[in-house]
Amino acid sequence: MMFDITGKRSLFLIISEVVILIGIIALVVFGLKPGIEFSSGSMLTVSFEQEVDHSELEQELVNLGYTNAIIQGIGESDFLIRTPELSGEDKAALEDALSARFGSLSEREFHSVSPMVATETAHNAAIAVAIAAVGILLYITWAFRRMPRPFHYGVCAIIALVHDVVVVLGIFAIFGAILNWEINLMFITGVLAVIGYSINDTVVIFDRIRENLKRGMSADFEVVVNNSLVETMSRSLNTCLTTLFVVLALLFFVGASIQNFAVVLLVGIVSGTYSSICIAAPLLIVWERGEWGRLVFLPQAKAKEA
Amino acid sequence: MARKNTLLLIIILALFAFAVCALIYPLFDRKEMRLGLDLIGGVHLVYQADFPEDATGEERAAGMERALITIEKRIDKYGVTEPIIQQLGEDRILVQLPGFTDIDAAKSLVEQTGFLEFREVELNEEEQPVYLGDYFQQDELQFINEQETGNRVFVIDVVNAEGEREHKTVAFLAKDNGDIKFTDASGNPIDATALEEYADALSWIIARGDDGTPLTGDLLADAYASLDQSGVVPIPQVSIEWDSEGSVIFDQIAARLYPRPDNENYFDPERALGIFLDNTLLSAPEVNAQKFEGRGVITGNFTREEVSELANLLKSGALPMPLKKPPLYEEKVSATLGADFIDMSLKAGIIGLILVMLFMIIYYRLPGVLASLALVFYAALVLAIFKLIPVTLTLAGIGGFVLSIGMAVDANVLIFERMKEEFATGRTLGAAIEAGFNRAWTAIRDSNVTTFIVCVILYWLGSSIVASAPVMGFALTLFIGVAVSMFTAIVVTRTLLRLFVGTSLASKTSLFSAHQERK
Repeated sequence: MMFDITGKRSLFLIISEVVILIGIIALVVFGLKPGIEFSSGSMLTVSFEQEVDHSELEQELVNLGYTNAIIQGIGESDFLIRTPELSGEDKAALEDALSARFGSLSEREFHSVSPMVATETAHNAAIAVAIAAVGILLYITWAFRRMPRPFHYGVCAIIALVHDVVVVLGIFAIFGAILNWEINLMFITGVLAVIGYSINDTVVIFDRIRENLKRGMSADFEVVVNNSLVETMSRSLNTCLTTLFVVLALLFFVGASIQNFAVVLLVGIVSGTYSSICIAAPLLIVWERGEWGRLVFLPQAKAKEA
Repeated sequence: MARKNTLLLIIILALFAFAVCALIYPLFDRKEMRLGLDLIGGVHLVYQADFPEDATGEERAAGMERALITIEKRIDKYGVTEPIIQQLGEDRILVQLPGFTDIDAAKSLVEQTGFLEFREVELNEEEQPVYLGDYFQQDELQFINEQETGNRVFVIDVVNAEGEREHKTVAFLAKDNGDIKFTDASGNPIDATALEEYADALSWIIARGDDGTPLTGDLLADAYASLDQSGVVPIPQVSIEWDSEGSVIFDQIAARLYPRPDNENYFDPERALGIFLDNTLLSAPEVNAQKFEGRGVITGNFTREEVSELANLLKSGALPMPLKKPPLYEEKVSATLGADFIDMSLKAGIIGLILVMLFMIIYYRLPGVLASLALVFYAALVLAIFKLIPVTLTLAGIGGFVLSIGMAVDANVLIFERMKEEFATGRTLGAAIEAGFNRAWTAIRDSNVTTFIVCVILYWLGSSIVASAPVMGFALTLFIGVAVSMFTAIVVTRTLLRLFVGTSLASKTSLFSAHQERK
């Protein structure tokens, strides 16, 4: 056997448990920072002619009364300034004050979302995520109907999925706390795309397990699962790589405007590939053999194995 | 088999040629990719309508219609290309102005109450109408009717691009610091020589009551579409009602205009009362009575649509726009930023494509080359579909397309991996190709279903919210991308691969896989 993946399942599962735990703690402690699309407010992107210091700009905004303004630098002299909802007059006054202090500036982009629209958007995004969850569940029920134990397969795929979502959310909670990253509609879009990707990956592997079981590859379920993983490994990694290539290209060349989206995909695709191989499939064995103890205490499990 | 394959190859090449042509040349009236606001720059506004609590459904619908027509008219004058002004749901209005990047100007354009005023034609000493040409005859510019010192608006009738006649305001003549000058709508001076082609434009002066009070929209109480039932066939007309001050002034003006000469069948400028909204002549009905006592009708050869539009425009000059301020949603992207986005996303797409192709060629060798060809075909076909449908491309939409390039090869990867396994069991190239494709098919189909589900849900989400463009754009481009990728991977790559069956290359297995595993 080239790779023994399933044999290291305890290790993989423990790693994932730790990662998930960190993610959940980050989510509970920091929470996610909603962007203006979900919480209302204004976002102004200005480009100064001269170089402007980040902290000076921050100080100036505080002086102007925007104590909660969030500033994000883009490139050398462009800044994204996030404030509560600005009226036309507020914005003109703000721009005048900034150009008086830092020299002339041009307004590159401006978004303003009212509380009504923000509430509506958050509400509908929540519905979309709920529908997506139901849709994916239905799909899983359908896709795994031919599997020997559809319920086991479905639950394991969903656990892998939840893993990926928690990883993405956890990372954004941490980035939110450190870098003030906010979640917006493109973030939700990215998460849904990741969900689709992660399920794809798991389906391909499970499909192979089913095929190998039918062929009677081995009486040992673990051997079948491991062989199936090895057989599908290059497909999983190659598809992950080609997708990462384009995501990285988006991240490096397009940058700030779809940064959230690209980072969600980047993290989600890596996590999705990992979880399909190292969580979903090994969990099948854990379930088959009733080794749930392995998920909790590594030493005890080892002892049992010996 | 070989024959069928040749046929398929011809179809594929033809399709490719078609896609490339569609991209390069205007086809079916589609000259350019349709780009979203974030890529060309512009302003996007969404307003909530503002009606009194007790407004009936009918009043609300009428108010929405009035707001839409008024905004359309105003934006028309600014020459914005392909503006979008539409109703969202029951009580919202979306305004998209591509290329118009002054968001404050855009907002005031939409929100302001129109300036409605009534004018009459200027007459010279012989009681004849004055034209712009008459002013060119003067040695020194001065008002021909010296009693009226308000500005003049010169209006000419032109045939517009759609072949309809319309009134066009060509210039103003106004007294500024004692000098009389020709100006444009913003008050900037115009050189008289630039106006020579408009010598036939009529000169309109402010219509005033006996005490000099101008007749303006403030004095208008209501305007609505109605039907003249006096004849055999009901004729659409616009009814207007004045408030108490307005009815006095209007009657004073009518008493002055009505006695002027009347050529039954021809338009008499002397007797016309010009209705101007924001300096544009809407209509110039002739006054046909001495006394109106606060009510009047505007008749003419009108359709029902024209009548309701005119009534709405009249009202927009009398009532504030029924819109809540500030807008529910505002977005502005500068044109330079939009251009940067196109540049950057194009770069990302090309680099991504090249990386994927390099990887496929290095890892899968000959099949990788074929998959890369299929990928080029894929990109051309998808872009052609975007252009022809047309799909409005936004930054997120391009992101979806670029992502689909990475995912498009997944089907190929699935197939090639299968082929490698088949090779390993000692099959020939032909058998390996067929087995590879057949056995990978269920996995390809099943695995794309989730992406489709997600796309449909995202599309719904996009359509249900105000800031819809990014999410919808992404969902649509990814959906089209994945659908086309299934076709290219299954049909195109297979057809190309079959070309090698039976050739001397087929036996060189190293061409088909860098990682031959022998059991």
